[in-house]
This record gives sequence, structure tokens and C-alpha cells, in this order.
Amino acid sequence: MTKRTQLKLATVNGTELIKIEQVVKTFSNAAGEFTALRGIDLTLNRGEFVAIIGKSGSGKSTLLNMLTGIDHPTAGKVLVDGIDIYAQSESKRSLWRGRNLGIVFQFFQLLPMLNLLENVMLPMDYVGMYDVDERPKRAMELLRMVGLEEQAQKLPRAASTGQQQSAAIARALSTDAPIIVADEPTGNLDSRSANHIIDLFTELSERGKTIVMVTHDSTMTQRTSRTVVISDGQLVNETIAQALPLLSQPLMKELSNKAEKINFAPNETIIRSKDPVQKFFMIISGKVDVVLHGRGKDDLTVSQLERNDFFGEIELMRGGKSVASVRAAEDTPVELLAISREDFYWLMGESPLTEKAIGNIVQKRLDEQKQADRRKRKRLFG
Amino acid sequence: MRPRWRKVLSDLIDNKARTLLVVLSIAVGVFAIGVIAGAYVIISEDMSVSYASNNPANIELRMDDFDEDFLNTIRKFDGIKEAEARRVFNIRARPLGKTQWTSIDVITIEDFEENEVNLLTPLSGKEIPLKNEILLEQDVLEKMDAAPGDTLEVQLRDDSIKTIYVAGIVQDSSTGAVDFLAPPLAYISTDTLRLFDQGELFNRVFATVETGQDDDAHINIVLSALKEKIEKNDYEVGRTFRSLTHQHPLETTINAVLGILMALGVLIVFLSSSLIANTLSALLTQHLRHIGVMKLIGGRDKIIFKMYLVLLVSFGVLALLIAVPAGGQGAYGLAQFIATMMGFSLLGYRIVPSAFIIQIMVGLLVPLVAGFMPVINGSRVTVQKAISGDLAGESSEQGEGGANRESRFEAIQFQATRILADRGIRIKRPLLISLRNTFRRRGRLILTLFTLTMGGATFISVFNVRVTLHEYVESVGNYFLADVTLDFDTPYRVSEIEQFAMQDPRVTYVEGWAFSGADILYPDGTTADNVSLLAPPAGSSLVDPLMVSGRWVQAGDKKKLTISEGIYDLYPNLQAGDYLPLKVNGKEESWEVVGIFKFINMEGILGYAPYDYISRDQNMANLSFSYRIVTEEHDRAYQEMMAEDLDAYFRDNGFHVQEATPGLSTLDSAAESLDILISFLLIMALLTAVVGSMGLAGTMSMNVLERTREIGIMRAIGATDIRIITMVLVEGLLIGIISFILGIFLAVPFTYGFSWIVSTAIFETPIDVVFTPMGYGIWAGLVILLSTLASVLPARSAARLTIREVLAYE
Repeated sequence: MTKRTQLKLATVNGTELIKIEQVVKTFSNAAGEFTALRGIDLTLNRGEFVAIIGKSGSGKSTLLNMLTGIDHPTAGKVLVDGIDIYAQSESKRSLWRGRNLGIVFQFFQLLPMLNLLENVMLPMDYVGMYDVDERPKRAMELLRMVGLEEQAQKLPRAASTGQQQSAAIARALSTDAPIIVADEPTGNLDSRSANHIIDLFTELSERGKTIVMVTHDSTMTQRTSRTVVISDGQLVNETIAQALPLLSQPLMKELSNKAEKINFAPNETIIRSKDPVQKFFMIISGKVDVVLHGRGKDDLTVSQLERNDFFGEIELMRGGKSVASVRAAEDTPVELLAISREDFYWLMGESPLTEKAIGNIVQKRLDEQKQADRRKRKRLFG
Repeated sequence: MRPRWRKVLSDLIDNKARTLLVVLSIAVGVFAIGVIAGAYVIISEDMSVSYASNNPANIELRMDDFDEDFLNTIRKFDGIKEAEARRVFNIRARPLGKTQWTSIDVITIEDFEENEVNLLTPLSGKEIPLKNEILLEQDVLEKMDAAPGDTLEVQLRDDSIKTIYVAGIVQDSSTGAVDFLAPPLAYISTDTLRLFDQGELFNRVFATVETGQDDDAHINIVLSALKEKIEKNDYEVGRTFRSLTHQHPLETTINAVLGILMALGVLIVFLSSSLIANTLSALLTQHLRHIGVMKLIGGRDKIIFKMYLVLLVSFGVLALLIAVPAGGQGAYGLAQFIATMMGFSLLGYRIVPSAFIIQIMVGLLVPLVAGFMPVINGSRVTVQKAISGDLAGESSEQGEGGANRESRFEAIQFQATRILADRGIRIKRPLLISLRNTFRRRGRLILTLFTLTMGGATFISVFNVRVTLHEYVESVGNYFLADVTLDFDTPYRVSEIEQFAMQDPRVTYVEGWAFSGADILYPDGTTADNVSLLAPPAGSSLVDPLMVSGRWVQAGDKKKLTISEGIYDLYPNLQAGDYLPLKVNGKEESWEVVGIFKFINMEGILGYAPYDYISRDQNMANLSFSYRIVTEEHDRAYQEMMAEDLDAYFRDNGFHVQEATPGLSTLDSAAESLDILISFLLIMALLTAVVGSMGLAGTMSMNVLERTREIGIMRAIGATDIRIITMVLVEGLLIGIISFILGIFLAVPFTYGFSWIVSTAIFETPIDVVFTPMGYGIWAGLVILLSTLASVLPARSAARLTIREVLAYE
């Protein structure tokens, strides 16, 4: 790879790149109005590999259209790298998109009259990036990166679906856009090709690209750094989605509305041992320690819970008072999402799968506590 | 209404732009064929009836002055039904207060009320002029502004100017019809002759024959006998003309023109059907999913075929609703235009049943024939294919080896791109897209190119034909090379006129010519026709003949002549060196034809012999009535000025000038007639060009429609409005340019074909074809303009498509 054709990658990871503020999208047709997005707020950071998941018709592709500038929001703003993209005309937005976004479509959408190499070169032509002589070299470099060097002169229809999608990714990378947006990129691929594509995205994300991928396949979320769930045009709280993945999306959405956020300072007690437990907690950020009390100051931290973990379920499921104390870790404050006892019981009633899964976790945690208890007694009494 | 017919109805109504395109495509063809067929029938029917209704003379004799008594002799001649005498003389006239003189042939009619031959049709004002009043033939109005009630100034031989009152405007379908180059006509009664200083004698006979009025051979027999009788009475007959009662003298010309128009009309129908085939094929492609769904729920091929057949017929009926009334009006308008130009009247507006039937047949059959294959293919499509999503019917883009291989054509394209790139010529992808898009739908491209190329080739060749005809007329001007022709009422010595003329420093050269007439005889001694003999001095530089064979006249030639091609009508195998039986001054002689030259045959047969021989033969050695004068400059304005100046100069010096004519004006009426013909052809050429560009517009719309998804992708990866518009425009322009290149080649046989048809119709001889860059230049500009216009709307709608619309995520 020559110096000039080396991929320039985003360098400042973790800072805010895309900010969606109160975005509403309403479609009108003969049957009336339909609101696809209902006041979405979302912030995506540089270098994140984000999965947007949701059922068909949940609004995930509409959301993707909003952040790519493909469709126009009815209300709200979309800022990409500080630029309000809808303040531009459609034509200017196309140019902006060519420079700042690489889009990968479910059906690849390569132009049939151009071969793969030419398809990859096309965005460079449109946005006028790189010298004319540089473009074929860069396009070939990108095709090599996605493993299509040998197929460069093929027409799209002469390539396999996996190859077409790889070429589409190479095209999305051709203008070195910092953001890659993919709409169901694996939806039309066999599992081997799908894995290859996700590998590519992971690699790109590691190299600093921000990847936003829409998928309806929740298993894909295991490979992403972040998952955004959308249901009926609203975002589901990400903590709920991560902590209780077996909930149906409508339940997640409903629970998002019922839950409240609570903040604790470092070392502040959240649940006191032998007190009744009134809430079910999920950790948004920070860490909590689960502590068994001994005599005097001889406490034992049996476990430390992190982001997307939950607690309080043992007492709520089994009844009785708290068997241990839970407090914010010593070094960091903690932000929690709490739902009331009643809401927790309602939730367990609505989602037997979740109830069963939590039941298993309760059993596992109790076993851990018993063992910890035995270790503690052994230490105290020999 | 049953759901299937409701669907057909909604197919008609929902996409109004597409319906309009199909309906207009059909309507253009139906309209064109309706106009031409209707005009053809109206003219064919009315021309002969209208011409015959004026009781045209079968025989016209131009002869020495004669009186009423002699006319009675002619009237009593065996075979003559009616005979009328006229005095015809030339004057110069202008409306009072105007400066421009117009040359007019004044016809004196003995008795307007008793007039039975060559009847006049009154158009406005009085029907019969009183003393010192004049009726103008409508052609005069093309040369000067005059209306009944106006006063004209008339210049007489003695230079005196008289005024005369315009009593009315008339149409004379008969008198001038035979003479292509004759000046316009006017009519007076014998009472007015004195005003013009003319004696009450006649110099023309207009007669009808008793039987066989439509039998040229019979008329010729009567004419020959009559002429012989007249000449035995010591009257000299200058020229004779024959006409059939029910055949307008220009009927063959008009029919030839209508024939060309008909051919163009058929071409337009043909072109519009390719346009319809294109549009319907695209429509069926768009409807594949509908067809798939209909078949999925039980629709059989037959039902679907029937539904689309009804759709086609509906398109046809809608087109007929537009084209039939418009075509009827157009037909009458065209017929009226031609009738006015050719000087006859129509019998009135009417619907021509045959044209009506042709229109209905074309309107219904063309969409059925053009749409038959697309409909058959559409109705036979399998459900799987129809609903598989392969709606663009990319099969046409697929190679022979299967769906996934690039075709040979694509391979050539890629190879070409690579070769160019290897040589450092890199075509940018946006341009490459336009280039490759152009050739993606090859069937559609071929139909579009066919339509546009035919339109272009017709357009270009019409310009070539125009120049060819004008060049020919100009080359006929080689027989009229003098700048001014000065005719006197009495003969003057050539040296005297030369001396006087040369006193004007602007005059550089003078020639005195002699004239004679002769009858051409058949070998059996009967008169075949007459020939006008012009006698310039041998070696005259004022005639530059277009020789077909043999040589031009030389000094010392005796009883030798060169003769115009018209002689072939009488002696088809005549060659230079052959002898021709002539009757000169009543004596039968045998003249050697030393050469044959081209001329406008409609003007009759023309011959040239040396001045020395003819003038001596007429006992007029060194004398002449008619002089050819060459001046310093040769442009039209200079010639007109010199004609006026010389006219005044000679009159001032006591010469009896009859007329001074600027040389180039001789060909005016011929050139004007040609321009009328050319304007017809041009209208048809424009119509074919319009059909062609409609085809292109349809193709571009269909292409854009089918490529909306691709356009969405382009927008998604950075293509701005201008990029998208440029892409579509370049494709349209490319098609235009390809059609232009093809048109250049196709225009060659078209030009030869049109020129041959038109020249043989008008000049009765094939003429040399001339090519002009003008047609190519105008068509190049026009095709670029039309291609751009045809692509602008599709391009704009392409740029307006939002990506969401075309990619339709959810």
C-alpha cells in the first residue's frame, strides 16, 4: 500500500459524532398519518460499532434514513460532526453524504452497468476526492482489503452475493468517510458471508470508523459494541435491552417508560442488609459491590456488578429481607435504572422467559452466596 | 364494472403522462396520414372538377394580330366547339404612390358576359370591368398590394403613365396554368384597349374541341389542322398549347408532390408505431408484477391478453378522438393551401370517407400491431419471473451464455474502456454510466434511433433537395445570363442599339438576338409540337448550356439546331447528328440536331440556332427586336436599376421599348413555386423530426423510470442534482448524436430518391443532386436541441426523486 492510498482513519475515538435530537417522522398517505419515529434522542460516538435492532416496521430504517440524510425529519435535528444535515439542500446533502457517509445496502445496490472496480471508484468521482490517477489504485486497494482483487473487472451480476456485499463495503469506504451506515447488510447473505462482513465491520471499527448497522437479527448484537433497540418508533432504554434481552421489544419499550434513573455517590449504600427490598435495579454506568457483613468491620465483597447487570431480584423473587448490602463501588459513582416492586411483578407476569432466566440467575447467585458464606464462616471459625 | 376492466381503466387514468405519450404517438401518425390522405382525395377530386368547371381551352394559339372576321373562320373550323379571341399584351403597373413596377400580362376579353372559355371565378369586387377598369388575377396580389377600388398606374409604350381603376379580383385557373414562367394576369374589356394604346385586334385564340376533350391525340390533330389553315391564311402562329378539359396542367406535378407527402405520411405512421411499440413494451415491463399477481390468483394468459388488448384499443380510440377531427381540418387546410397556390378552387369543406376510414384503421391497427408482441410476451410471462423482482426485464442485457455472464457487447465496451485507459484516456465513471446506459436497452435504442434517424435523414435530404432544385433553376439561368433583356416593338439595327447602349459606361456588352418558331413534325408529317427557336450570335457567351449530348450551335450552322430534352417525349431515341422534321415558316424542312440540352420541359420545347442563319431566314439581317445587355455588376438590385435606367434611356432617345427585364427575375416564379413545394416537404420533415424526438423523450422517460433505483443509489453515494441531470442529458444527447451520424449516411439515398421524384415531376427530367451543409448543420443543432428537450423533463424528474422513494427500505 503506498503512502497516498493508505486509508485515513478517524483518530479521536469516544467523542460525540452523531447527535439525533427529538426527531419525529410522520408519513402521510391516503389512509391517514403514521408516525414512524416519536421523538428520538440518540448520541453515537466515534469509533463505536452500533447495532440498531428492531422488528420489521419498528422504525429502524427510518431512523437510519434520518442520520444518513436520505429522508427528512418532520421535527427535530440531526447533527453529524456538529453539522445540521437538514439545513442543506438535497443536492448538497448528497455531496455531503458522499464525503462523510459510506452506505451499505441490504441488496448491495451496485450499479449494474459498472464493474466492481468502477463501482468502487464512482463515489470518488462524484465527490471529487483523490487525483484521477489515484482513484483506480485506491479502489483496487479497497477491493484487495475486502478480498475481491481478483473479481475487480467483474460485473456485479457475475459476482456472488457475498462478493457483491464486500464490493459495496469497499464502495462505502472509497471516500474514506468516517461513518459507515449499513442497512441489513447480512440480510441477504449466507452465514459464512455474513460473518465475513461482520468481521470486516469489526476491523473497521477497530481502525476508528463509526459503524451503524441496522439489523433485525439480535444475535448480531453480540459482535457490536453497542445496541440500540427501537420499537414502535421509540428507542428502548439500552440498559434494559442489555440487562433483560429476553423481553419482547414492546415490553422493553413499556419498561423504559416505567423505569427511573437514580444516581449514587462512590461507596454510598444502595440496599442495606436485612432491610426490605422495594426495587429492581439495573446498572447504567459505574459499578456496585455486593457485600456480606461480618462482625465489626470484617465485611466480605462477594461480587462486583457492572454496566447492564441488575440486582434486587433475589429478594423480590423469593420474598424476605436483603441477604447482603449493595453499595456503589469505592472509586466511581453509579447510575441505576430502577423499577418498582409492582412493576417487576407485572413484568415477570408478562414475560415468563425473563422470569425463568432471572430465576436461574437468582439460584446461581444464591449458590454463590452460600459458598461465600461458607468461606466466610471457615475463615471466622476455622 | 368487473375488477379486471376497472384495472384497465385505472391503467389508462393513473399514469396520465404515459397515457398521453402513447395517445399522442398514435395521434401524430393518424393525424399525418389523415391530413395527407384527405388532401390527396380532395385535391384529386376538386382539381379536375374545378378546372373543368371553368371550361378550359383545349387549344391555345399565340399568333399574329387578327380580327373578328378571322375568329369566325376559326369558330367554324371542323372539330372546334367554341373559340374566343383575346388580345394579350404586357404592361408595367404599380399601385398609385408606389415606386415598384410589376410586369403583368393584360388579357382583353371581347365580351365578359358571353365568355365561355377559360372562365373567371370572381373573388371580390366586380365580375365585369367597365371602360378603364381592370380585373386582377389573385396572383397579382403576391406582387403588389391592390384591392378593388384602388387605382393603378400603368406605363405605356410611349412612356406616358395612365391610371386605371381596379374593379375586382378574380381567379383564372386555366389561362396561366400552362405557363410556369408567365407573369401574373389582369383582364380588361375591349373598351379599355385604347387606354393602353392598343388596337382592337386579337393575338390569341382559346378554343375547345367538339369531341375528345380529354384526348390529347385528338386535340393535337384538330390543332395541327387548324394551325395549317391559319398559316395558309398568312397568319403566323408563334406557340401553341394543348390542355385536357379534366386534367389540370400541373396535375402530374401536384400528384407527385402528394405522392411524396403520402410516402412521408406512411413513414410517420411507421415511425410512430415504433414509438408505440417502445412505450407499450416499457408499460408491459412495468406491469409484469401486476401480471404475476393476476396469474397467481387465477388469471389465465387469455384473460390477461384480452385486458391488455382492450387497453391498446382504448389508446387507439383516444388517439382517434384527437387525430380524426384535427386530421380532417388539416386535410382541408392543406388542400386549400395547394389549391390557392395552384390557382384552382375547392368544392367546399367535407369529410373524406376514405381518409376517415384510413385514419380509423391506422388508429386501431397500429397500436394493435405495435403492441401485439409486447402484449403476447407480457401475458405469457411466468408467475415466478413476474414477481421475482426482475422487473426491469434485464434479460435484454444478459449475455448469450446466461444471466450472469457479460454479453459480447458489454465485453467490447469494457475492452474499449480498458484500451482507452491504457492509453491514458480515462473516462470518468459518471460519463461511463451515460455511455453504457445508452446501450443497455438495445431493442429500445434501435427503435428510438430508427425513428430519430429517419426524421433526421428526411430533414437533411429536404434541404439537399431544396438546394438541388434551386441549383437546377439557377443553372437554367445559364440560358439567361444577360443582366437586362431589352425588347422593342420594332426591329432596330444591332449596331445602333449597341452604340447607344455602350454610351452608358455601366454597360459592358450588347447582343442582338433573333427569334423564330417551328412545328416539330412526326415522320408522317403531322404536327407533334412546336419549338421556340432562340437565335443568339454564334459563340455567344450569354448562354451556358447544360448539354446532355452533342455540341452547342456554331457559326455557319445552317438548318442545324440544339434542342431541349423535351424532344425525348416525341423522339425518345433522338441523338445528336439525327435529323428532325420541322415546319419553319410553313415549309417542311429537315434540320440536323447538333446537340441536346437540359431545360425546364414544362416550358415547352426550346431550340437554339445561330443568329446569322435565323435573321437572314427572316430577312432581318443585322436587325433585332430583342437585346441582351451585360452590365458591370450582376446582382439583382443592380439589374433592376439598370433595367429601369436603360428603359428610360432608350425611350428618351425615341426608341419603342416594349420591356426591359432584369435577368434574374426570369426565374422568380419558378423559384417561388419550388419554395412552396419545399415548404410542404419541410413541414413533413419537421413532423417526422417531432415524432423522432417524441420517441426519444419517451425512451428517456422510460429509461429514467426503470433506473430510479440506480439514481437513488447514485444520490446515496454522493451524486448531486447536476450530476444526475447531466447523466440523463448526456444519454439523450448521445442518442441524438448517434442518430445524427446515421442520418448523415441515410440522407444520401433519401436525397437521391426525393430529388429524382421531385425533379421528374416538375422538370420532367432527373437532375444532378447537390448536397448542402445547411441541412446537416440545422439538423445537428435541432437534434441537439430536441435531444436536450426530450431529456430535460426526465432528467429533472430523476433529480427530484428522493432516495427514500427509490430505495424504499420498508
